[in-house]
Amino acid sequence: MALCSIRNLSKSYASFSLSDVSFELNAGQITGFIGRNGAGKTTTIKSILGLVHPDCGEICYFDLPFSKYEREIKQRIGFSTGTVNYYPKRRIKNIAAVTKTFYKNRDESAYREYLEIFSLDENKMPCELSEGMKVKFNLLLALSHRAEILILDEPTSGLDPFSRDELLELFIELKNRGASVLFSTHITSDIEKCADNIMYIKKGKVAADCSKEEFVKSFCMDGETLEESILRMERNDKIWQNY
Amino acid sequence: MAKLLKKEMKLAASPLSYIFIVFGLMAFLPGYPILISSFFVCLGLFQSFQCVREANDITYTALLPVAKRDIVKSKYMFCTVIELFYFILTSVPVLVRMTVLSDVSVYRKNALMNANLVYLGFVLLILGFFNLIFVGGFFKTAYKFAKPFVAFIIVAFLAVGIGETLFHIPAFSALNSFGFTHFGLQLGVFITGVSLFALLTAISLHQAINNFEQIDL
Repeated sequence: MALCSIRNLSKSYASFSLSDVSFELNAGQITGFIGRNGAGKTTTIKSILGLVHPDCGEICYFDLPFSKYEREIKQRIGFSTGTVNYYPKRRIKNIAAVTKTFYKNRDESAYREYLEIFSLDENKMPCELSEGMKVKFNLLLALSHRAEILILDEPTSGLDPFSRDELLELFIELKNRGASVLFSTHITSDIEKCADNIMYIKKGKVAADCSKEEFVKSFCMDGETLEESILRMERNDKIWQNY
Repeated sequence: MAKLLKKEMKLAASPLSYIFIVFGLMAFLPGYPILISSFFVCLGLFQSFQCVREANDITYTALLPVAKRDIVKSKYMFCTVIELFYFILTSVPVLVRMTVLSDVSVYRKNALMNANLVYLGFVLLILGFFNLIFVGGFFKTAYKFAKPFVAFIIVAFLAVGIGETLFHIPAFSALNSFGFTHFGLQLGVFITGVSLFALLTAISLHQAINNFEQIDL
């Protein structure tokens, strides 16, 4: 059973359209969501979280439609975006204390564990954190209720190589615990390191959604890295249109 | 909803929203347009909406396990709680001025609006306008607050102006009664104020939920 199933998601803006996006997220799987800036990664993620209203499409988590079971579903998923800064002048411990009251599965030991892993001082305020530490703070909030699905919008942006590596290791650990992780990125090495699946979006359309091995087999030419093949695909529309 | 209200108070609210409740005691001031105190408490609430926008509170709340309409309800609940505390506080000087201080000359010689039930009725009307014009206006976009606040200022000051001038017209002089004189009229205006506050807030809440459901965050 897919933990999350998205069917024919579309959203039109004046200068951009998300067209017919469909995909599934399975338990124990890491999906790397890749595409250049403005390709539709954030719109897709916001749509599947109910922050953006899609023009059409079906969004189901745990076989439940999101529109009807929003509260119940959100109890079981975690979301983090690397760029948004919540409550810059409140102490981390106060934000976390309020956040935890909303979750039935809030796990204090997980919160403490990730606080230590991320080397976060809970007496600090988000405005005192570096960009990378803000990403970690958002992740901390997303990870502290043992979410079954983690949806992360560019979680590795702004992180130093060591922290990025630690984070990718953490994704693998979460996967091994049975969670499903969807993370958007434009850093191909992140995907190479930990993703099982690759979802590649271009100009608002899912150009490829398959296992990493299948992606490499289908799109990477001999000796070509993932980054080189994606760059080539970005420059040549015909390659993926036939996929 | 209680959790969301707690979140509003602990994370989203500006301290000024709480501090400005004290302006309710301005009803003790003689020779001062005391209806302005209701504007000050709205100004305090406005500060919280500024904090809401700066702290990305709406997006944060939308990601919690709550429905989108709950976000709107919690903001209205926060506003009405602050307004209620202000109303209770400003009722204290009104009751004192209507009873033990009803014959004090400094209040008797007061050329401006008297602190009576009519004043409380007008206070509720202004608070209702705040909920309708400002809070409702904010939820059309969930980030633009200047235009709805300017619109509220205009309406609030018109209401203050009407409240302060109406009783100077001989036919309406009873509106500025002292103590329990013309109690029936005072009570009528007060009940009208309560009804309008409830009606304006309910209309605004309904409209705000519909508007907010359509917004892309």
